[in-house]
Amino acid sequence: MAKSFSTVLAILVIAIGFTAASAMFTVNETEQALVMQFGKEKTVIQEPGLNFKVPFVQNVIFVDKRIIAVSTKREEVVTRDQKRLMVDSFARFRITNPLLYFQSFGNINVALSRIETILNSQLRQVLGREILTEIVSGERARLMDSIKDQVNTKTASRGIEIVDVRIVRADLPEANSQKVFDRMRSQREQEAKEIRATGAEAAQRIQANANRERTVLLAEAKKDGEITRGTGDAEKNRVFADAFGKDPDFFSFYRSMQAYKESMSNDDTTMVLSPDSEFFRFFDSQNQKTTK
Amino acid sequence: MPWSNQGGNDGGWQGGGGGNRGPWGQGPSGQQPPNLEDIIRKGQERLKDSLPGGGGGKLGFFIILMIAVVVWLASGFYKVETNEQGVVLRFGKEVATTQPGLNYHLPYPIETVLTPDVTKLNSVEVGYRINRSGSTVSVVAESLMLTGDENIVDIGFTVFWKIKNAGDFLFNVSNQTQTIKAAAESAMREVVGHTQLQSAITEGRLKIQTEVAARLQEVMDLYEIGVEVVQIQMKNSDPPSQVIDAFRDVQAAEADKERAQNEALAYANDIIPRARGEATKIRQEAIGYKQQVVAEAQGEAARFISIYDEYAKAPYVTRQRIYLETLQEVFQGKKKIIIDNQGGGQGVVPYLSLNELQKGRAK
Repeated sequence: MAKSFSTVLAILVIAIGFTAASAMFTVNETEQALVMQFGKEKTVIQEPGLNFKVPFVQNVIFVDKRIIAVSTKREEVVTRDQKRLMVDSFARFRITNPLLYFQSFGNINVALSRIETILNSQLRQVLGREILTEIVSGERARLMDSIKDQVNTKTASRGIEIVDVRIVRADLPEANSQKVFDRMRSQREQEAKEIRATGAEAAQRIQANANRERTVLLAEAKKDGEITRGTGDAEKNRVFADAFGKDPDFFSFYRSMQAYKESMSNDDTTMVLSPDSEFFRFFDSQNQKTTK
Repeated sequence: MPWSNQGGNDGGWQGGGGGNRGPWGQGPSGQQPPNLEDIIRKGQERLKDSLPGGGGGKLGFFIILMIAVVVWLASGFYKVETNEQGVVLRFGKEVATTQPGLNYHLPYPIETVLTPDVTKLNSVEVGYRINRSGSTVSVVAESLMLTGDENIVDIGFTVFWKIKNAGDFLFNVSNQTQTIKAAAESAMREVVGHTQLQSAITEGRLKIQTEVAARLQEVMDLYEIGVEVVQIQMKNSDPPSQVIDAFRDVQAAEADKERAQNEALAYANDIIPRARGEATKIRQEAIGYKQQVVAEAQGEAARFISIYDEYAKAPYVTRQRIYLETLQEVFQGKKKIIIDNQGGGQGVVPYLSLNELQKGRAK
């Protein structure tokens, strides 16, 4: 009797525990929950903590409360100026209304692919209205905001709020990249040529200046030299004039004698002489008078 | 899981206490409930065994129960390391953050604790990876980006970040690291899109780093991810490998230019001092010439004057002597032909063959 009573008691305790357990559930900080009753939504729980439900009748669907990432694949976008850009982007969203979200998508994978599609089409729309330079170097923040707003209008009714849209890469397609590389290369080549040419120019200028300076230095020196030589010659003439002016007659005699001596010092000189000359005065007779 | 609430049944687990409780205190991981039927069956067996034992058995059951409760309560002690922060969750809701040291939380399943490392400086590489051998490999898809002047630049950088708010970091955003990386990449591309190539690869790098850090922090705050961007560090910012040789050639050209100028300067430095030397030489030679001719003239003049002084004393004799001495010297040792003018002397001259004379001399 006591034995069967304790068995019943044990079974009862276990049954009560099991029921209580299935009536309780915790919602984590990262989650929110939908309590469903026979497939119909009953309550939405967005605060974390311990919660209760009717056992066996109600079930709970947990939905992420964090910011979730979705990104687009690399896609070619044609800009307003008919240029092609390879763009990839990502969005960050948050499930604000778990019920709408659950009704629209059912699960996260469906949600991700649908949001990606919406993001992609809005991206094309917004970027298609802009020119390339505006996308690459303009106010990207403005473009991203307007994409975000447009995506938001489409997803708000589905319980999703887009927190942020970012364009990650906006690059030129491969063929265009090659052209950019070619242009970069030719620009550098041109730059290098110019630098070398200016180097040559500077070198020439320096050399030419040096050559000119040298020429001028030498010419000035020659001028000064000639002037100095001239004053030397003048001084010589003055000295001679002073000395020889004492007796011009004797000077011309004396100087002639010297000149004869100097100019006929060569041994090969052959002389054709007349015996009548002063030198031969005594040739014919010794009785010549001293004065002729 | 509510299973642990069935403290009453735990008593049936003889000596179970600490040993079995271990996994239960560990937090939300691996909490698959044990096989229900097993527990029920075992519990029943224990009850059956203990009850016939009478009063003594009941006391033993109570003691075991008390020990189990104490062990359960003690499982709430936990340690927060100095580099960590404790985040206490009560039924999944954040209720407290705790500081390093020994702390207590209500035992599982009421409360659990997470202890993220909040002082660690984390890093994310963008545009390059460090492979196992320690060398860096550029990831072209991430590193090539368009500059404001429609050139392409190759940039690799690292984001250094740490957790600013542990709760925000843990609960607000999924895939935290990936989020930081994607946002950093986007911010870098946006900033480089405003920068000219030349600036991006040279002096503009510092500005890019600070700008990207600021922009990334803005995005992080928008996401409430609880992350502090400590630094953006650019590993490289170069022209793409496809054109790097052309860029290097520009540097080589700069060097060539420098060299050409230096060579020209060397030439100038060589010839101008030489020219100066040459000029000095020319001037000195001229001065030498001047002094020479003046000195010679003075010497000659002095000689003339001394001869003249002598002459003045006996003019005729001296004159005659000089004349004869000079001619003597002049005629000495030279061929002489003396032709008398009188008696047909004049007629001889036309027949005198100067050529013959020259020949005779040559023999």
